[in-house]
Amino acid sequence: MSGWLLLFGGFPLLLLLFTSFLKQHPEKFFELSLSVESYAQLINPDYLLVFLRSTLLAGITTFVCLIVGYPFAWLTCRMPSRYRLLILIMIMIPFWTNSLIRTYAVRIIIGAKGIVNKLLLASGIIESPIRLMYTDTAVLLGLVYLMLPFMILPLYANIEKLDYRLVEASRDLGAGPYNTFRSVILPLTMPGIVAGCIMVFVPTMGLFYVASLLGGAKKLLIGNLIQHQFLVSHNWPLGSAMSTTLIGILVVMLLLYRVVLHQSDTAADRL
Amino acid sequence: MKKANQLYIAIVFIYLYVPIAVLIINAFNANRYGLQWDGFTLGWFQAMLNNHSLIEAARNSLLVAVSSATIATMIGALGAVAMYFHRFKGRKVVFGTIISLMMLPDIILAIALLVLFIILGLSLGFWSLLLAHITFCLPFTFVTVFARMQGFDPYLIEAARDLGASEGMVLRTIVFPLISPALIASWLLGFTLSLDDVIVSSFVAGPGFDVLPLRIFSMVKVGVKPEVNALAFLMILISIIFVATSYFLLKEKAHEN
Amino acid sequence: MKIRTISLIVLLINLALVSSGSAAEKVYIYNWTEYIPDAVIQQFTEETGIKVIYATYESNEAMYAKLKLIKGDGYDLVFPSTYFVSKMIKEDMLYPLDHSLLPNAAMLDKSLLNKAFDPDNIYSIPYMWGSTGIAVNTDFIPLARVSSWQDLWNKEFSGQLLLQDDMREVFHMALKIKGFSSNTRDPNEIEAAYELLKELMPHVLVFNSDSPRLPYLAGEVNVGMIWNGEAWMAQQENQAIAYVYPTEGANYWVDSFVIPKGAKNIKHAHTFINFMLRPDIAKLCVEENGYATPVTAALPLLSEEVRTSEVIFPPAEVIAAGEFQTDVGEALVIYQKYWEKLRSGN
Repeated sequence: MSGWLLLFGGFPLLLLLFTSFLKQHPEKFFELSLSVESYAQLINPDYLLVFLRSTLLAGITTFVCLIVGYPFAWLTCRMPSRYRLLILIMIMIPFWTNSLIRTYAVRIIIGAKGIVNKLLLASGIIESPIRLMYTDTAVLLGLVYLMLPFMILPLYANIEKLDYRLVEASRDLGAGPYNTFRSVILPLTMPGIVAGCIMVFVPTMGLFYVASLLGGAKKLLIGNLIQHQFLVSHNWPLGSAMSTTLIGILVVMLLLYRVVLHQSDTAADRL
Repeated sequence: MKKANQLYIAIVFIYLYVPIAVLIINAFNANRYGLQWDGFTLGWFQAMLNNHSLIEAARNSLLVAVSSATIATMIGALGAVAMYFHRFKGRKVVFGTIISLMMLPDIILAIALLVLFIILGLSLGFWSLLLAHITFCLPFTFVTVFARMQGFDPYLIEAARDLGASEGMVLRTIVFPLISPALIASWLLGFTLSLDDVIVSSFVAGPGFDVLPLRIFSMVKVGVKPEVNALAFLMILISIIFVATSYFLLKEKAHEN
Repeated sequence: MKIRTISLIVLLINLALVSSGSAAEKVYIYNWTEYIPDAVIQQFTEETGIKVIYATYESNEAMYAKLKLIKGDGYDLVFPSTYFVSKMIKEDMLYPLDHSLLPNAAMLDKSLLNKAFDPDNIYSIPYMWGSTGIAVNTDFIPLARVSSWQDLWNKEFSGQLLLQDDMREVFHMALKIKGFSSNTRDPNEIEAAYELLKELMPHVLVFNSDSPRLPYLAGEVNVGMIWNGEAWMAQQENQAIAYVYPTEGANYWVDSFVIPKGAKNIKHAHTFINFMLRPDIAKLCVEENGYATPVTAALPLLSEEVRTSEVIFPPAEVIAAGEFQTDVGEALVIYQKYWEKLRSGN
């Protein structure tokens, strides 16, 4: 596996790093001379705003996915084992339809002439259609919809092996449900939570077409910006610099998290 | 309490399936924009069957998705297990590379892989697409299995070794059965990622090998055609049938054992 | 285990099917999906026996980036829009056309040939052309209120406005209002346009990147930019949606046939182009897309409704008021800078 990774994984990363140090050229994608001018260009309040906005959106999405996904994964594990696999696969089936079509379906549901509005109007709760499309709520709905399995699956994989006797023991010792959760369940399922959060947060930072389709692309996200650099501005060095910085920040966040939790994550460390 | 649990699961399912229901209904809706019900029609299915390129793209997508999910799961699982049990030089680097790969915006991976393929002289087509898909599925499969590995009782391995089991046997009889939920989760994740990928595919796919997401996304500027809904419905139907059959096959096997 | 072996066999069978290509004549086309009607492609294969392999892209930018990277290898025919043609010519990415193989080109509308982006049409032949103008849902906004780009700045449209997520098209509006050319390279003019656009930003509801007619049909927006073909298709569904050619001038663009440098089946590509320039074929394309064809001989074949529609075929003086888009060279960087400012500051 290391071989594969090195070739297919390492190469893009190295290329990225290298390109971010090149100069921009209007006709080709980049010029073969080194400079740090791309990084200098990054120091721009507009870009900072875009970055913060993306982080906020990704963060909220992750949080919502966690809140919704954790109980779901937990309850699925409590189900008799013959149902578990079934439920998992039933979760996945909607995701085997193209995300674009599903996003269009979401539009139909929340649009001005959509199902939600039609129902509300017909039942007399509102007088004129409420605007759901092209709002932040719409974007959040769409993103959570898209990313939910990425939270549920790793959570499930982790919660499934939880020894329920530990929970029962804790109860027998007199701990209430809150304490049981905090001291027993939470620490044991933390790896799953972390895995799930990473798998939702990270891709969401790069997603932008859902935001465009449901949110109207009024607020630019990092994904838009980077895509723009590569395809429209043909400024590959700047796009690379942005990406490298993004990856760097995310990696730093991860490391900080690990340090804070004093996680020792391998059997090799423990034995 | 039991009822509340089931209700919660049901609600989440509703949230996930309502858009699908809309999709399915519109596959039969005479109105091509799906904003109102104009009447029942099978016309879109007709159009879909006539649209050979769409069907071929769908078939190609399934092929690539199944292959890359399977291979990515195998490699990712092996890697996660290896990472967990062994110290080897450069472990941190490998770990870092994987996480960074996940964070890489699609467009960069797409272009970088394309450049790599050009340098290697690999002509674009099925294989280039497959390799690319495996590459971006890998971090996800790895992380899923790895998360499962945490809290793995290493003494089980020791015990097995003491009893004389070889490494291979240990893997086969102890490790893999215990992580099998993670393997399934990884496969499902990989399959989903591959089936829906647009940007990487658009750059590394060859001219003769079209995949479904590319086809559909390319319709975006001119308006996605309703026969796509019909196709989506068909794909869901096939997935359900496939799942149901394997489920019953597995159950029978379990009964036999 | 059994399932694995079964799926492996299925995989292998499929692989075998995939890699067995026939030795038939082929031509590889790279285009937007459904931009050429399916029926046309099938007719071509029936008449010539050449198989058409159709690959798709969703934006000019993605197409350009990919072609540049693979040096056009594998694609015989591509359909870039105006300024991409000139860009690709300048960067030596195209193969000059052999006009002796294109007899049908003689019947083309002269006003669409010999444009600034490809003088003498050495590299390209126009396929379809169209305009970007204003759409108004007359059920909600009276037609009289919207006749120019400037009208979009009207405060009463705040929060109902749709703009295309396309830098050049948005700048076109502002530049035209200011009386400049929309292909200007003058930094001062571009800056003036930027200042004007800055005022508009808070009032925009959506920057659209997919089919523009959808938000109008869904009732989400009632006024804004749209392509004429999209407006035409919207009208088929909802008569109230009108297309307005703004007084300052609409943005005109042309999508052309070009042959990239790495093409393998150059002769077949020419055969295809010539086939598409036939009046009966051009007629089918117009009816499908709602965009105009440069094949003048096709006009009498169209239905009265289509032929007389000003949405598809604007009168000459309207075209003259507008401007055809072309490459701006290095000034693109200036546009980028302001576009990013406009879009990230929201």
